[in-house]
Amino acid sequence: MATIALWLLVVVFLGAFAAQVATRVRLIAAAPNPFSLDRPGERIRRFLVDVVFQWKTIAERPVVGLAHALVFWGFVAFGGYTITEFLYGLGIVDLTHGPWFETYRLLLAVFAVAALAGILVLIVRRAFVRPVTLGTHVSTESIIIGLFIVTLMVTFLLTYRLPEDTTSGRVNWWIHVLVILAFLALIPASKHFHLVLSPITVFLKSPVLGTVPNLDFEKEEVGLEAVKDLGRKMVLDALTCVECGRCQMNCPAWGSGKELNPKTIILQTQEALLAGDRAKTLASVYSEKVLWQCTTCGACENQCPVGIEHLPILIGARRGLVSNGQAPDYLGGVYNHLERRGNIWGLGYDQRQKFVESAALETFDPSRHDVLVWLGCAGAFEADYQKSMRSLFEILRARGVTFGVLSKERCTGDPAKRTGNEYMFQELASGNIVDLKAAGPKKILTSCPHCVKTIGDDYRRFGYDVEIVHSAVFVDELLRETKRRTPTAANVTFHDPCYLGRYAGTVDEPRRLLTGAGAGIAEPERNRENPFCCGAGGGLLFADKEEEPGSRISDVRFKQLQATGATTVVTACPFCSIMLKGAHASAGAAGGDVQFVDLMTFVKDRM
Amino acid sequence: MILVVAEQRDGKLNRATWEAIAAAQQLAGGDAITIAVVGAAVGAVAIEVAAVQAQEVVTVDDPALASYTADGYTMALQQAIEQLSPSLVVMPHTYQTRDVAPKLAARIDRALVTDVIGFKRVDGEQAFVRPMFQGKLAADVVPQGPAPHLITCQIGAFRADQAVRGPAAAPVRALETTIDASRIRQTPEAPFQQEKQAVDLSQAERIVSVGRGIKAAEHLPLARELATALGAELAASRPICDAGWLPMERQVGSSGQTVAPKMYLALGISGAIQHLVGMKGSQTIVAINKDAEAPIFEVADYGIVGDLFEIVPAMLAALKS
Repeated sequence: MATIALWLLVVVFLGAFAAQVATRVRLIAAAPNPFSLDRPGERIRRFLVDVVFQWKTIAERPVVGLAHALVFWGFVAFGGYTITEFLYGLGIVDLTHGPWFETYRLLLAVFAVAALAGILVLIVRRAFVRPVTLGTHVSTESIIIGLFIVTLMVTFLLTYRLPEDTTSGRVNWWIHVLVILAFLALIPASKHFHLVLSPITVFLKSPVLGTVPNLDFEKEEVGLEAVKDLGRKMVLDALTCVECGRCQMNCPAWGSGKELNPKTIILQTQEALLAGDRAKTLASVYSEKVLWQCTTCGACENQCPVGIEHLPILIGARRGLVSNGQAPDYLGGVYNHLERRGNIWGLGYDQRQKFVESAALETFDPSRHDVLVWLGCAGAFEADYQKSMRSLFEILRARGVTFGVLSKERCTGDPAKRTGNEYMFQELASGNIVDLKAAGPKKILTSCPHCVKTIGDDYRRFGYDVEIVHSAVFVDELLRETKRRTPTAANVTFHDPCYLGRYAGTVDEPRRLLTGAGAGIAEPERNRENPFCCGAGGGLLFADKEEEPGSRISDVRFKQLQATGATTVVTACPFCSIMLKGAHASAGAAGGDVQFVDLMTFVKDRM
Repeated sequence: MILVVAEQRDGKLNRATWEAIAAAQQLAGGDAITIAVVGAAVGAVAIEVAAVQAQEVVTVDDPALASYTADGYTMALQQAIEQLSPSLVVMPHTYQTRDVAPKLAARIDRALVTDVIGFKRVDGEQAFVRPMFQGKLAADVVPQGPAPHLITCQIGAFRADQAVRGPAAAPVRALETTIDASRIRQTPEAPFQQEKQAVDLSQAERIVSVGRGIKAAEHLPLARELATALGAELAASRPICDAGWLPMERQVGSSGQTVAPKMYLALGISGAIQHLVGMKGSQTIVAINKDAEAPIFEVADYGIVGDLFEIVPAMLAALKS
């Protein structure tokens, strides 16, 4: 009788689970662009770190993360137990009587206590602490799931006190089984679906941050215009979201009072997908204004514990807008400059030539030069950053490194790529690649982290594979053997550029250079691999009209740096430098007496 | 005879017309010019332009021409040119001209030289000077083929106040033309109005711009006084407008207005790149800054390293004497 009842229940609940899963699997299967599986080694490594060891979850929020890890490990540990009990209950096979099962149960007791402790912490946090990232109202569903887990652990532990063949033992067993079945049916339509999907999503996430594949114009790809254009990984991402809000907490736009919330973008995607209207335009799914508030700093994607990639969606939607002529006004000027002058400022190339001559730079020749120095838009045209380039040249010359530059450079296309003007990006990239291939450098050196990402990663997908290093890495290597000065009091702070610290993982080199030059570093909040953006990325360098003076991203970051008490701010990116100096100037007297120095100048002055 | 095409909208003359008239008069070298006014009920505009020295003012007046359309205006101008047989047609290089001139030139199969900034004789032939490569070069263009050639004059290249006035008003005559409204394919909508900018710095000939070096809002009158003395507009860099010392519409730079005055005087502006891209097109840049390393000196034609609170009063004193 009990066996038949259980069979019926299993069919009903498992059926409900399967039907809901099938709907979602169909959404994924119907989406274009197959999953990418490149660099399997890195994917396996990430899987171990972020799924098995729960590192992403723990790193940012240690207490909550550990609580979550205890529950997660409990789930994994209970997998065999649950299956064994169901096989027994369904009358298929009885594996519950044997010495090994007793040992397993004993071990499980440890996991059960740990998971119980973990889930209680999470329930208390959700119901009473109520952090802003979990939304404004308490999710009843999450509380129910939490209580389910409590029930499962308690009923398991009670099996030690209530013998199996007593009535109370039977009741206890049935409660356990019923809760599991109810849990199963609840999962797919809730954020708890991440239980099933996140290991897959983490594995499928690109090993390189901010991977936005090139569009193929031969196939008439224009970017994301409607729900049906969302790629397979994007659909998977939307269904995996666990709504933890790490993306939101780390987003500089959200953190400076803008509307953009990366979590909302993912949930809007999910809602649109489940609503089933494949023709619905993405312009009506997301707020258009919000799409242009992203600096592409990558914090959301990098901090996401379940493997979601926000940038392909945000940039993909921008592409859809740009190909329909819906870019914001300030980008019109930038695109015009890129198209007509090949640089973001719209300045004439004679100005670059003037700098090349005054700095006595030679045209790169692989037989005479060790490295090719890529000047970039800032190095070639921006008077302030040219000072830092001169410092770099001085260091290289002092160390006997020979170098040359291209006779002509275009912008790498970074602002075009990140704002979704893929056509312009490909025009600039293909021109540069022809020139770079002809010049034939083995190693490229640049002081612009954006150029590092674009040439080093985006150009690779165009078949140009070259080693490109940021000056911080190159000079750190160069000066490794030199005598280090004794650091002074901490009066210098270092602002990690997103494209250097987060994208390239270059965090120790600049610090080693600074301390070697005798600086004591006062670390700001949000540093190293998770810095707070300066506000310039993603084409927003020229968008300060879109932000309110005082609450610009650059203003928020400047205040964070100022709060360290340091009187010198060192940067290693021309755009960070422009934005932070601007914020300092706009702060007026409140900005205090702060010096901005580029890393290369700081090092050169103290050599 | 040189024909000048006057531009009007809703009975209001576009002042660039005076520049085109001045250019035509200089080209005619004493010979009389004719001015054509196209539109609906343009009598008042015709009388307004008749004040200059001209042989006559002709009008193509038709209700179908009430709003500008490329088809309607091409029809009107083609008939005017055929009736008057001018040797040259001069138009101001306005947005409307940019739209209609190529169409008109193609229709009558004549050469068109756009954006003309001057003229000269080259080997005995009339050449027109026009900028190329973003103004890096000036080309002397000798139009080929039968007359009349068409030229459009860059705004600001010729001086409106040099349009010579006549001893008496020129006679006004309505041309006999037929405008077939059914052949006008465009249906114009209300003209698009750019967001109203209370201060249009882009039209200013001289600009005095202040930056952080001004130190405090109470020092602004000093800069304002210099601007008034120079007949210049007052502008600022971002920090000044962020602080609310001057309204946002006076901000120059990538997040403000893009300007290209004849003279740009930068007071205490360090010259962040966002500011530079907004004023790099200025003809003459004068910078006053305490910091000799300030990037503004990279683009300045004249630079004074020093305290603006000493230099500006000295300049004011010199201007007054």
